[in-house]
Amino acid sequence: MDFHFTEEQKILQKTARDFLQSECPSSFVLEMEADEKGYTPDLWNKMAELGWMALIIPEEYEGVGGNLLDLVVMLEEMGRFCLPGPFFSTVLGCLGIMAAGTEEQLKNFLPKVGRGELIMSLALAEPGNRKYDPFLVAVEAGAKNNDFMINGTKLFVPDAHVADYLVCAARTSGRPGAREGITLFMVDSKTSGIRLTPMKTLAGDKQFEVDFQGVAVPGDHLLGPLNQGGVILEQVLQKGAVCKCAEMLGGAQKVLEMATGYAKEREQFGRPIGSFQAVQHHCSNMLMDIEGSRYITYKVAWMLEQGISCAKQVSAAKAWTSEAYKRVVGLGHQILGATGYIIEHDMPLYSRRAKIAELALGDAGFHREQVARELGL
Amino acid sequence: MDFGYTEEEEKFREKLSQFLDKELTEEIARQNWEDLGVGAEAREFSRKLAAYGFLGMSWPKEYGGHGFPPTYDFILLDELGKRWGAHVPLDVGYTMVGPTILRRGGEALKKEFLPRIINGEIEFCLGYTEPNAGSDLASMKMRAVDAGDHFVINGQKTFNTECHYSEYHWLAARTDADPDIPKYKGVSLFVVDMDSPGITIRPLWTMSGERTNEVYYEDVKVPKSRMVGEKNKGFYYMMEALGSERNQVFVPGRLVPILEDLIKYVKETEVDGKPLSNDPLIRDKLAQAAIELEVAGVLADHSRWLESNELPMPYQPEITKVFTSELDQRLVNTGMEILGLYSQLTEDSKWAPLRGRISWYFLHSFMTTIGAGTSEVGRSVIAQRGLSLPRAY
Repeated sequence: MDFHFTEEQKILQKTARDFLQSECPSSFVLEMEADEKGYTPDLWNKMAELGWMALIIPEEYEGVGGNLLDLVVMLEEMGRFCLPGPFFSTVLGCLGIMAAGTEEQLKNFLPKVGRGELIMSLALAEPGNRKYDPFLVAVEAGAKNNDFMINGTKLFVPDAHVADYLVCAARTSGRPGAREGITLFMVDSKTSGIRLTPMKTLAGDKQFEVDFQGVAVPGDHLLGPLNQGGVILEQVLQKGAVCKCAEMLGGAQKVLEMATGYAKEREQFGRPIGSFQAVQHHCSNMLMDIEGSRYITYKVAWMLEQGISCAKQVSAAKAWTSEAYKRVVGLGHQILGATGYIIEHDMPLYSRRAKIAELALGDAGFHREQVARELGL
Repeated sequence: MDFGYTEEEEKFREKLSQFLDKELTEEIARQNWEDLGVGAEAREFSRKLAAYGFLGMSWPKEYGGHGFPPTYDFILLDELGKRWGAHVPLDVGYTMVGPTILRRGGEALKKEFLPRIINGEIEFCLGYTEPNAGSDLASMKMRAVDAGDHFVINGQKTFNTECHYSEYHWLAARTDADPDIPKYKGVSLFVVDMDSPGITIRPLWTMSGERTNEVYYEDVKVPKSRMVGEKNKGFYYMMEALGSERNQVFVPGRLVPILEDLIKYVKETEVDGKPLSNDPLIRDKLAQAAIELEVAGVLADHSRWLESNELPMPYQPEITKVFTSELDQRLVNTGMEILGLYSQLTEDSKWAPLRGRISWYFLHSFMTTIGAGTSEVGRSVIAQRGLSLPRAY
């Protein structure tokens, strides 16, 4: 066993932290919540110059050739600074291409993603899917000559308004709920028949209702084989869940630092409140939750990277980290008191994002059911 | 990062598994798990473990060990745990006393005790807690007075488990009673023969049927050669050993058989023609237990890794301890809820499910967050050492 980061990962962590410290202050995060676009091309381009979008792209496609653990290190920092914008959604799309793309698709898309020229997202959830169950796909794609025609509504599609391509999961056979019969499509977001409606959320992030009305997709824009999208989705969502855990971990760590920092400085009854056992125990509960989240996230990233089958551990990580982050922000608020309840304080940034992250890619209840299945129940 | 085991480690595990499947009987595991004492079979099992080379993997060769990293000892604990064996049969000597003698004991003590511990021949009982020194252990009053070539010890210990069958008492006593020095600066450690004249042992029976003891010392003479390390440094030795002790005592793998029993039970038990495992509430609870067990596993792996690499671990084993002991309680409560009406039945009842283990474990679980330091002390330690929050006492 070895819990050390590699030297490269340490450098990556430091670079990301220093960069985001100066480029992504909380004032910027709040500004982007109000901004229609939700990110600035300026910051996006700087991130691309640092090679962030290319991090997990293989070198043969002009990428950095990093692994999932490298990405986890980076996303932890993004979570720490509540980085707004379409990085995460682009990662989801990129993971889809990397999992199932043809050589031509890999060549076409990955270098552009890596250079920051292509923003992507994943269109999966639909009305009637309350838990982000990947197989509850009802939106249909009918074959028409050599093309497909997509009809239906997708919900909670992150950053759809700025995405160049949407990876859209549509049903080409079978019934909603079935793993078989789902096909993934690379949909050019400028195709006619796509209509976007913003879904306003607690965190001011950018999620959309995406209506597909007779959207034509050429037959060579399938991602992976016909009807076999379910398997690809599983792979993408496993990695995506670990990525979300990393983001939550970074946020939770920052909340712990804010809370303990305050507990050491804030004096009442003539002494720092951090010397009171009630407050100390809140803080140690936060630390315990975070350490557990940290090592299960790293472990699962490592298992996925090693190709070890780990559906149970992935779901354990997402279920645990989602609830841990929720508890951590709850205790953070309790320690910061009224101060942390004020909109200008950083604390609400994290408590609002904790909720969004908890729901993304399957909440704790959804993932507990996955674990139950893996236990043979 | 690497969360895997090496090929050598896996080979060791394989060899060990075969041995345990054959040698670790239900009765031995049970004596061990339920602290019922160490009978003749368990002593024999302990000697066999040693004879097959499974004990002392991480101990230095010069005292009979094999000189490997502690990882191997952790594998032993995990494999025992999976089979309802809570720890190595003579565990106080093996996990607590031995390592401290190694670190701090003089050559004579090392030569006298270490090989016998590794060979699974002797057991020790811990002599720390006193009626008025529990969480505030440094305030212990048992007095050891210097009398030339020996100490004379007087006082009382309590909740000293294993004393009624151990050969030696691993005793902490006050060697400097100066009220002007901090209490922790006046404690020394001793190895005391349990059959020394002046020692009286009285049983204390716990609510889950284990025996622990009160131990009285009346003018007990202990040779100076049996003092461990330097005089008045005992409390430091106890504290520096704590992390490693926690790593070896709080083994998440021990909860695996309980979870497996419950999973089997809900799959095989039908209500209205449907297995209990179809019940969404039960699925959710068991999944949560399994998730927490995964988390406990990585927390323990991290603490163990720090120890194996001789890195500082000021609070990490405490996290493992608090988390695992509280998980114990949550898991057994889940089990009790699943067994429903039948959960109240004891082992000897005809209708008792799962051999009454869950109901016994329910009673036992009240101890897990108290023994070896309460969760409250643990959380204060985590806050102060892990987050540098100021002490208020």
